[in-house]
Amino acid sequence: MKWITAGVLLGLAALLGLGIAGVWPRPEFPDPDPIATEWDVENAVAAIVLGVRLWDTLFEVLVYALAMVGVRFFLGGMRWQGILPPLAETPLLRRSADLLFGPILVFAVYVAVSGHIGPGGGFPAGIILGSGLLLLALAKGVEHLSTELYEPKLEGLEYVAVAATLLLGAIVLIVGVRSSAAFVAGNLLVALEVAIGAWVVVHRFASARGEV
Amino acid sequence: MESLSGLALAVALAALGLWTMVTRRNVLWKLLGLNVASGGSILFLVALSHRSGARPAIVGLGPRPAVDPLPQALVLTAIVIHFATLALALALVIVLTERRHTQDVKKLEEEG
Repeated sequence: MKWITAGVLLGLAALLGLGIAGVWPRPEFPDPDPIATEWDVENAVAAIVLGVRLWDTLFEVLVYALAMVGVRFFLGGMRWQGILPPLAETPLLRRSADLLFGPILVFAVYVAVSGHIGPGGGFPAGIILGSGLLLLALAKGVEHLSTELYEPKLEGLEYVAVAATLLLGAIVLIVGVRSSAAFVAGNLLVALEVAIGAWVVVHRFASARGEV
Repeated sequence: MESLSGLALAVALAALGLWTMVTRRNVLWKLLGLNVASGGSILFLVALSHRSGARPAIVGLGPRPAVDPLPQALVLTAIVIHFATLALALALVIVLTERRHTQDVKKLEEEG
């Protein structure tokens, strides 16, 4: 097996060497601006993600939601049994986390809302918000935070976000709406979905294997 | 030129990840290798879409030629799906460790 792997790796290196030597000339890219203007946005990547390849994005959202259902299912019955030493009191971390979460939330919403006119979009915004939740969880403790962010309610919200994304996708695909408003709504819904998924991962992994 | 070094680094990462996946017996190490290989493939796509001196694929940033937006959109999908599948795989590893008390694939195969 190791020899096969070594052969595959050598093949990869040979392909790379041929590519660097210029055996396959690299094609010139077409101008992406017409794609963006066709979908009434300025960011061509957003026009592709939520426009040209919308089917792909819809199924991506479904795969993401299904993976989070799987994480909930497999780790749902497990609770940490051992006694963990409590974290040292760190008022500085707790206060800074409280102070920082507001700007992080605002930045995430900004990244989601401006995703069609500049760098950004729903997926990065969701991960930014998820990182903010992770910061709060580190500062306050996951179990304490999970009483504030009650997961069954968030689960319902996540499914509503998935359903709304699918509905929006149907409107764009079937009715043929090409407006930047659809992009803003799509980005916000995707951000909500990704942020809730990220919180599910943080919460489940922490509560199945102890406090963070 | 910088995109060529990006391509070389991408292939090196993919090779390292593939090697780890094949040679290590611990499931966690295999997942780590998969993670590194996935990083390599993501870097490969980004480096492919890059041209030196090109502008971002956003309207109104000047007359220079733009980078290819399609690999960037693909990468966006790949990162999110990778995060989700990695989380699911790690959850499965936790369940496996709870039930079989090992993460060694050889022992798991022997025990059946």
